Amino acid sequence: MQSNQTFADLFRARGVSRRDFLKFCSLTSVYLGLSPSMVPAIVQAMENKPRTPVLWIHGLECTCCSESFIRSSHPTIEDILFNMISLDYDDVLSATAGHQLEDVRRKIMKEYKGKYILAVEGNASTKDDGVYCMVGGDSFLNTLKETAADAAAIIAWGTCASFGCVQNADPNPTGAAPVSDIIKDKPIVKVPGCPPISEVMTGVIAHFHTFGTLPELDNLGRPKAFYKTRIHDKCYRRAFFDAGMFVRSFDDDATRKGWCLYKMGCKGPTTYNACSKIQWNGGTSFPIGSGHPCIGCSEPHFWDRGPFYSRLAEVPFLGSDSNADKIGVIAVGAAAAGAAAHAAVTAVKKAKSDKLDNDKA
Amino acid sequence: MGRIIEEIYVWGLPVRYYHWINALCTVVLFVTGLYIAAPVLNPPLGEAVWYKGLAWWRYLHFASAFIFIANFLFRMYWALFSGDRYARFGGFRPWSPAWWGKPFMEQVESYLFLRSEEPNYVGHNPVAALAHFIFIFCGSSFMIFTGLAMYGENNPGGFSENWFGWLIPLFGGSYTLHFAHHLMAWIFPVYVIMHLYAVFRHDVVDRTSVTSSIITGFKHKVEEEPG
Repeated sequence: MQSNQTFADLFRARGVSRRDFLKFCSLTSVYLGLSPSMVPAIVQAMENKPRTPVLWIHGLECTCCSESFIRSSHPTIEDILFNMISLDYDDVLSATAGHQLEDVRRKIMKEYKGKYILAVEGNASTKDDGVYCMVGGDSFLNTLKETAADAAAIIAWGTCASFGCVQNADPNPTGAAPVSDIIKDKPIVKVPGCPPISEVMTGVIAHFHTFGTLPELDNLGRPKAFYKTRIHDKCYRRAFFDAGMFVRSFDDDATRKGWCLYKMGCKGPTTYNACSKIQWNGGTSFPIGSGHPCIGCSEPHFWDRGPFYSRLAEVPFLGSDSNADKIGVIAVGAAAAGAAAHAAVTAVKKAKSDKLDNDKA
Repeated sequence: MGRIIEEIYVWGLPVRYYHWINALCTVVLFVTGLYIAAPVLNPPLGEAVWYKGLAWWRYLHFASAFIFIANFLFRMYWALFSGDRYARFGGFRPWSPAWWGKPFMEQVESYLFLRSEEPNYVGHNPVAALAHFIFIFCGSSFMIFTGLAMYGENNPGGFSENWFGWLIPLFGGSYTLHFAHHLMAWIFPVYVIMHLYAVFRHDVVDRTSVTSSIITGFKHKVEEEPG
């Protein structure tokens, strides 16, 4: 691939008209939550800045982030965006393999020292020197540390890289740890979701390319443009939530009417993601739209906050079928029993002392 | 029966108002909170636009929460600046080993039936002071902080999120925060049971009319009946 190509060069090489290019730029500004006045800045960047090299490495993961990414489905535009990232290394998508591929990674790390983006999909096993995830003859833990050292920034794709996901769910046998637990000295954008929405993924890269900085992040390190509000806040079933109209079982009439899935354990009210806004597969639908409650896949430790189909979590250390209400009822019962017992002792003691007083008299 | 030989004005009007507003808010908050977590009522059939089935419960929860907070802040102000001796934190110094000394131990022993002589206090006894610190001060603070953090989720970038949003990552996510808020809510019914029991028991044993004192403000000292 020719180096130092700009996005615009690639568009032209692929026969995309300038009109479509400008449309792409304004669409990107919308996805990034920017005002229309920022469109020229995007156009400027796309036309003049060489494409940002991206090294995409895979650790303990299921590749669902990549699967989501390649399924970006506004046809031309997102395919182009996918091709536009100078994706110089990706051990899953690359045609080459083995030493050849590893050499490419090292070459980019040297040539673009401090300038490339490291995209991490999956996380690293940290127990026993990381032997539970070996890629290319070395532990992923070492590869991650080595590749991160000269990166401009790190994008943590998916809940695995962001928070740990299923790998570090209790009891976490391999000591799987999210990227932010391992790399402390680099800016990290977390793009959680299992998988994240493809437009969110491409949006983050476009933002970095356009402005040379990471997008504005929230207090969990996620881009605010996509993770600022909860699924609940933009959910098209919100009216049913406010009205108190709930699905109570998956085969009831309310299900057919598309009422709120809150009582079916929907985690929409506690999940920050853009599913209800951008939706999936080019705006086709999203889990709630298909009648399934949100499982909160972009939230930290969502596997341990189960069950998926109940609103109130089980208390992990007390085993299944324990929840806050059961603990509360037991505590209240214990307090009442304690008070009753204390009252009984008090009564006996008082009777005794009264008797003693009477005897004395 | 013994005659009333002394009236002591213990709970000033602001303290009594605080108590009852707090009691009412706590009950409303607990009930509405549980309902929000598990809305059981179904609206009549029809369009969602006509009903506010859950929205009203949430509204009630939020409205009473803000009254609760204002009331709590007022009580803190009154404790610190009013000069009302029975409304202050009077002598509550759990960081000093001396506070855990004789008066506290005597009260504990008395509650454990290890003493026949029961100490009697005009205001709160040291065990009561500790209980109020844990349940009312710490418990309310916890509920207020976590509650405002969740309230901030409704309006990203607003006051509540800017000032209390940091609690969400601290708890490891919004869901865990909801869980903690829900679990901690149960300390209030536990407290209410212990509180009511302690009040009734002291009234029976000490005969100081502590139960009515939170309405009238007066406690009474009763003369021992001549034997």
